[in-house]
Amino acid sequence: MSIVTPDSVRIPQARSLGSQILRDLAVLVLLAIASLAAGLVMNRFSPSPLPIVYQAPEQRFDAELTTLVSAAPFKIAPAATVGLEEFRSAVEGKSALILDARPSEFFGQGHVPGALNLARDDFAHDYRDLAGVLQAAHDKPIIVYCSGGECHDSRLVANALLSLGFGNVSVFTGGWDAWSAAGLPASTGSAR
Amino acid sequence: MVGGRAAGIDRERAMMPAGNSRRNYAVLAVSIAVAAVFIYAGIDKIRDPLQFADSTAAFAILPAVLINLLALGLPPFEVACGVLLLAPPTRRVAALAVAVISVMFFTALGSALLRGLTLDCGCFGVGAPSRPRMWLELALDVALFSIALFVYLRSINSLSARAP
Repeated sequence: MSIVTPDSVRIPQARSLGSQILRDLAVLVLLAIASLAAGLVMNRFSPSPLPIVYQAPEQRFDAELTTLVSAAPFKIAPAATVGLEEFRSAVEGKSALILDARPSEFFGQGHVPGALNLARDDFAHDYRDLAGVLQAAHDKPIIVYCSGGECHDSRLVANALLSLGFGNVSVFTGGWDAWSAAGLPASTGSAR
Repeated sequence: MVGGRAAGIDRERAMMPAGNSRRNYAVLAVSIAVAAVFIYAGIDKIRDPLQFADSTAAFAILPAVLINLLALGLPPFEVACGVLLLAPPTRRVAALAVAVISVMFFTALGSALLRGLTLDCGCFGVGAPSRPRMWLELALDVALFSIALFVYLRSINSLSARAP
């Protein structure tokens, strides 16, 4: 009969726990490799596969813009900006064409009344859809907005419109956040 | 022999303290809940990998060459973790994976909050960039990590209890 002290029990238990965790981590690494392989295979057969190296929205937008016009490479230039009061009076007086640059899901959830959705992430498609309205409003002021705060979509879309020959394009920097925070009316639905 | 083994298991169950049994039910319940979260989050990212890649890029942590690989590899990994959490033999490894992913998201979110960034985490579906939502997702990561650790340690304990 042997006498076992508590310490001599704990040390082998700790060792076996450590080796168990290491074995589990090794399984995790294999699982991660298998998941990456599965992801790459799914991407290979996806209708819109991702490139291996990430491209920022600005780079993708630049490439998309060149499908519409053979212009010089897209550059981010400061666009004119308007504040909430000026934007509100343009919306209420219908004196400007209002464009929402957010993705269509957000546009559907709520947008400024009368605004049209020219989403940055689907610019070429939306631009072709809205070509008639945009050409009719060629000499009218155009105001673009997105979520507000730090969103860049409105600036990118405004800049693209300037590149495409629209002369009077500005950005409402407060965006949807400022509009809804002010308790101003909203429309819902995806109808353009 | 089979009957004898089953009788042995029944005897073990009968001898099992009530608290132990309750903890086993708790492990099962939280495993199902976490599995549902991970399967949902994984499928959501698989449906729109570009959105997840953009969310990852907004953290400004990874180089461009790794962003799309993460956007393609992590969603199937999350779904696999969710499925493996549901099966008792693979629950231990899946719980460790959930703990590792939670730490990863916590670190990324925490560093973004410290750097004053406002972004959409992309951890549990798409949303508008928002700091309150970032704090909420940070808290969710802490909760997921705690649950995963609980499930993992319970599974390790029952493994050592079964060892000869």
